[in-house]
Amino acid sequence: MEHAFSPYTDNGGTTVAIAGKDFVVVGGDTRQSEGYNINSRYAPKVFALSNGSVLATGGMYADAVTLVKTLGMRLEWYQFQHDKDMSSPALAQMLSTILYGKRFFPYYVWNTLGGLDENGEGAVFSYDPVGNFQKYKYGCGGSASHLIQPFLDNQIGRKHLDTQIDYTIEQVKKIMMDAFTSATERDIYTGDNLEIFIITKDGVTKELHPLKRD
Amino acid sequence: MFLTRRIQTKDGIVLAVEKRSTSTLLESSSIEKIVEIDTHLGCAMSGLIADSRTMIDHARVECQNHWFTFDEKMKVESVAQSVCDLALRFGESADGEDALMSRPFGIALLIGGIDENGPQLYHADPSGTLTRYDAKAIGSGSEGAQTELQEHFHKSLTLEEAISLSLKVLKAVMEEKISSTNVQVATVTKEGYKVLPEASLVDKIAALA
Amino acid sequence: MPANLEKGGFSFENHTRNIQLEQRGHKPPKATSTGTTIVGLIYKDGIVLGADTRATEGPIVADKNCEKIHYLAPNMYCCGAGTAADTEFSTNLISSKLELHRLQTGRQARVVTAMTMLKQMLFKYQGHIGAALVLGGYDLNGPQLYTIAPHGSTDKLPYVTMGSGSLAAMAIFENGWKKDMEKEQAIKLVQDAIEAGIFNDLGSGSNVDVTVITKDGVEYLRNYGKPNERGQKENSYKYPKGTTKILTSKVRDLVVVEDMDLS
Repeated sequence: MEHAFSPYTDNGGTTVAIAGKDFVVVGGDTRQSEGYNINSRYAPKVFALSNGSVLATGGMYADAVTLVKTLGMRLEWYQFQHDKDMSSPALAQMLSTILYGKRFFPYYVWNTLGGLDENGEGAVFSYDPVGNFQKYKYGCGGSASHLIQPFLDNQIGRKHLDTQIDYTIEQVKKIMMDAFTSATERDIYTGDNLEIFIITKDGVTKELHPLKRD
Repeated sequence: MFLTRRIQTKDGIVLAVEKRSTSTLLESSSIEKIVEIDTHLGCAMSGLIADSRTMIDHARVECQNHWFTFDEKMKVESVAQSVCDLALRFGESADGEDALMSRPFGIALLIGGIDENGPQLYHADPSGTLTRYDAKAIGSGSEGAQTELQEHFHKSLTLEEAISLSLKVLKAVMEEKISSTNVQVATVTKEGYKVLPEASLVDKIAALA
Repeated sequence: MPANLEKGGFSFENHTRNIQLEQRGHKPPKATSTGTTIVGLIYKDGIVLGADTRATEGPIVADKNCEKIHYLAPNMYCCGAGTAADTEFSTNLISSKLELHRLQTGRQARVVTAMTMLKQMLFKYQGHIGAALVLGGYDLNGPQLYTIAPHGSTDKLPYVTMGSGSLAAMAIFENGWKKDMEKEQAIKLVQDAIEAGIFNDLGSGSNVDVTVITKDGVEYLRNYGKPNERGQKENSYKYPKGTTKILTSKVRDLVVVEDMDLS
């Protein structure tokens, strides 16, 4: 029985971001759920931003949407004030300060930001809900992150081997699709569709792939 | 009034001022008319120096806030513009809110610095107008100084040549005889903001001949 | 043999200790639950039971193809939702008792008997045995269908659903059920109801199991519907032999050979 109102809810879902030499691929499933119910089979939680970065969110959808709105506004202000697009690393820092600004009533969101860094190389920034963040080469968040992270460590990190691989966009996409089809098998909150964003210096493209719906 | 000048070169920015002594008892090193705003920004001033405190503080806070929020240096133009925005916040607002300031600032600033667009020099006047210059003189001897600059400035000046030109222009328009104690020179290069020590000015002034 | 095993039934010897442990903040172990869709309906010639095949542990799918339609007697089957172990053991226990009952009486066990045994057992345990059941069978009184809730209450209805997907499944039944349906119609409706649970309830998933019970016997249709086959993987994840490098190796003789002077 519900005793007290809670301002938070978990809408599930999983996100993955993988950086390459001069690109980043960011993906997320499109299922939005609450408890055992599916609210929507297509509620994108990965957002392309106006400066060419892509933000993948997980956790509470309403907070994520609010956060993305704020980011959109701040990106526009920045462009007006400074007559240039905000760089991905600048956005990464700004997101951290915005999140920390709500230190004692946090946005219930696990963010993963993909973009190109100051040298044009792919970068992934992973956050906790109160703004702690780090730059990585790959990362994942959300309900199936504990299933996918070891897979990425094995396939991308390859720390157990002494050969690193500079994957192409196509190879990264395949790894990501396998991560999501496998996570869909075992995580009840992941499924329906996989939406993938590919970030290069030429811009952002988007793809939609079906996942199992059970 | 004092004379303030600034030159933009391809290597950096030179800010130079005359520190005119109003009394033989005055300690000239206590006159400070060139200040650091951030590691990549310097500012020279002319007018009511006391008023500059408010503006410099504002500029410094803006720079730190920008660094804190974005982990990057604030653009020179953005800093200069944010200072100019302050200049109009006097008198009563249309909504009848309490005024921030009772009167306009009585000071002109030369803000110079380096960012991703290279070295830049901006002039912020008391009206809140922001203008970019390759070389600019403000203050009491500015008319003569500007003419001198016009004559000798060219875009390929090196930093050393620019320092020397600054001193030469100052020397030409100053009433007192130029010395290492009555001028102040600062540079902003890729390495950052730096005030030239008095010792190095002695040689440079001597070399003007 | 220890005395407590001879007596049978549950052992409560750790009950007091476990309460103390819980008070000190230890979490009790979580049982596998079958957040489930199970259904049953009566048609012209008998009963059709249906179930999905997903078993979950919290948010994780523990078993993608488990069996939730349990055997009770040759003329009776029972779908289970709730705690997996409880549905499994309750149905097995009652199945044994029904067999003994048949031997004792020399008659085929009746569906009401099974229902009564189950509800009395569940009531005795006051809901602590987390079994929610759909019981279907055919005896001398014709086809009968019951639901039994964990606290022991029962319903006797022509079409029933239970488990976390019961609302999705019941929506299909309320829309499609008719009296005296043909077998094919009935199976199709059950399949649709289970699939509604599979696709719209996160606690249910994978395949559709169906069991048809008539006067003449039972058809157990395991994986009657498979609407969720896994897709082809994009890559192969086999590492060639030797991928993991051997950094050092040492062979040690496990057989110790000692020489003895036997002279």
